[in-house]
Amino acid sequence: MNTDIRFLEQLEGDLTEAAARESAVLAGAGAGSGDGDRSRRLPRRERHWGAIAAGLVAFLVLAASIGFLTQRPGQERATSFSEVGDAAGGSGAEVPAAQGSPAPMPATDRGTTTWQASSGNGTRQEAPLAGGVNYDTATGGGAAGQPALNAPGLPATQQQGDLSKIVRDGRIAIVVPDGDFDASLNNVSRIATSLGGFVLTSSTRDQSTGIFTLRIPAKKFDVAMERLRGIGEVRADAVTGQDVTAEFIDQTARLQILLDRRDLLQNLQNEATTSSEILRLAGLIEQTQLEIEKTQGQLRYLKNQVAEATIKVDLRERHAPDDTPEPDTDNPSLADAIRLGWEGFLRVIGAVIVGLGYLVPIALIALAIWGIVTLVRRRRRGAS
Amino acid sequence: MPDQRTDTELLLASRDEPEAFTELYRRHAEDLLRYFARRTLDPETAAELTAETFAEAFASRQTYTDKGVNGVAWIYGIARHRLGRFFRHGRVDASARRRIGMPERELPPEDYERIEDLIDFAPIREALSEALETLSPDQRDAMKLRVIDELAYQEVADRLGCSEANARQRVSRGLRKVALMLQERGMQLTTEVEA
Repeated sequence: MNTDIRFLEQLEGDLTEAAARESAVLAGAGAGSGDGDRSRRLPRRERHWGAIAAGLVAFLVLAASIGFLTQRPGQERATSFSEVGDAAGGSGAEVPAAQGSPAPMPATDRGTTTWQASSGNGTRQEAPLAGGVNYDTATGGGAAGQPALNAPGLPATQQQGDLSKIVRDGRIAIVVPDGDFDASLNNVSRIATSLGGFVLTSSTRDQSTGIFTLRIPAKKFDVAMERLRGIGEVRADAVTGQDVTAEFIDQTARLQILLDRRDLLQNLQNEATTSSEILRLAGLIEQTQLEIEKTQGQLRYLKNQVAEATIKVDLRERHAPDDTPEPDTDNPSLADAIRLGWEGFLRVIGAVIVGLGYLVPIALIALAIWGIVTLVRRRRRGAS
Repeated sequence: MPDQRTDTELLLASRDEPEAFTELYRRHAEDLLRYFARRTLDPETAAELTAETFAEAFASRQTYTDKGVNGVAWIYGIARHRLGRFFRHGRVDASARRRIGMPERELPPEDYERIEDLIDFAPIREALSEALETLSPDQRDAMKLRVIDELAYQEVADRLGCSEANARQRVSRGLRKVALMLQERGMQLTTEVEA
């Protein structure tokens, strides 16, 4: 090497030796001595990524562990939810109404108390559903943004409370003695009709189990639930309420604006002098009319939802065979295996997400501390 | 007879023929040392960074693929990375050298001045004068005598009443500190070296 710097000459010698060692290793590998030394020769970047991946996996495993641990106390409740969901033929448990919502959650003396404990907010027993309030939006009786309120004679605070529009939904799983299914079925039907409601859907099996969907006037919802509880032993029940007041007010205001707009357009059309103007306005009026009808439809739907509550009833005799037998986890069928695997996967993902919720803030704090310590050390080093 | 292969060919060949890497080293070692010396201002640090860069390039040569990046540009990429780490941490680690079993060598005394010759101090003298004020008195005096007055190490040692080795150490540490400080201030110390 053509240099007068000795260090570079020494370095050349060191590199030559390292190259010779590598050559020997390569020759050994070529001669069939295996690649036992391979790990030593792994590129640094590869090992670097390996370390990151290992750290990430450890972090996720830790998150999953924390997730499982933290979910354990809630297992009983989760079981209750799924029982209710399954019993009522639903796809899963619904979240109860938010705290502060005026949705009444009557306490039950039987069944899944965890449900009640988690959702009960001690509000009124009577639903404020119709309550003498009539949003007659089609007449356009209110100012834009304010629904027409016809509740004369009520105190101001109560009027405010009665503005609420709640869609209520109940689920109940009832077990009756063997042989009582038919009589109980009639009871369910009678309860619905006697309260002014009806059986929307009905599905029975083997004359021992059945799932029914009842539509009951909202005002009678609590009475209906109470009477249904009297049919047999309540295995699980749940009441949910969805507050659609804001949506209702929005739609009402929107409708009023659309009606005003249509009137305005019609006036303009009447005063229009040219055919092109008339045609253009006609198009706009038609478009507005379509939107009015769409909004009215949505309001009607909301009103119906509010006016009538839905109750799903799962009725079964005590020793009726299960509709959906639990899969045999020791010897599952292929479909069961896939389903079990998928459910397990989702549970793990859920646990990881819960665990991350615990870990991420801690990790961020640790990162901030590390950053500060590094900064301080660097400054100290710079100062010394 | 000199090897006629290009840098890229040498780097690719070194996967199965490690000795080819040595030729690459011979071609570029001094340039890389100059590259580091002009940026760190410190012969010791520049030498260490040179050793570490070649060691890392040697250890990682399997990852190099010819995607249009010249072999030597790839090495300078490693060099920039190492230099960045030095400016962040204020030290040069020997991880790559340890990985391939290379010893960590001290810079021979006679190399200090030779490496300093590679550094062009003229453009940075003014900035250096300001930076010097932040050093300890010992380091500042040594630096002034060596860099500003351009005295030989023996003369610096005589003026300061210390050994030559001690004078070298003071200048080296002072230079390192100044380089780090100027880097933090975002000052460009050197002209670019073609990579």
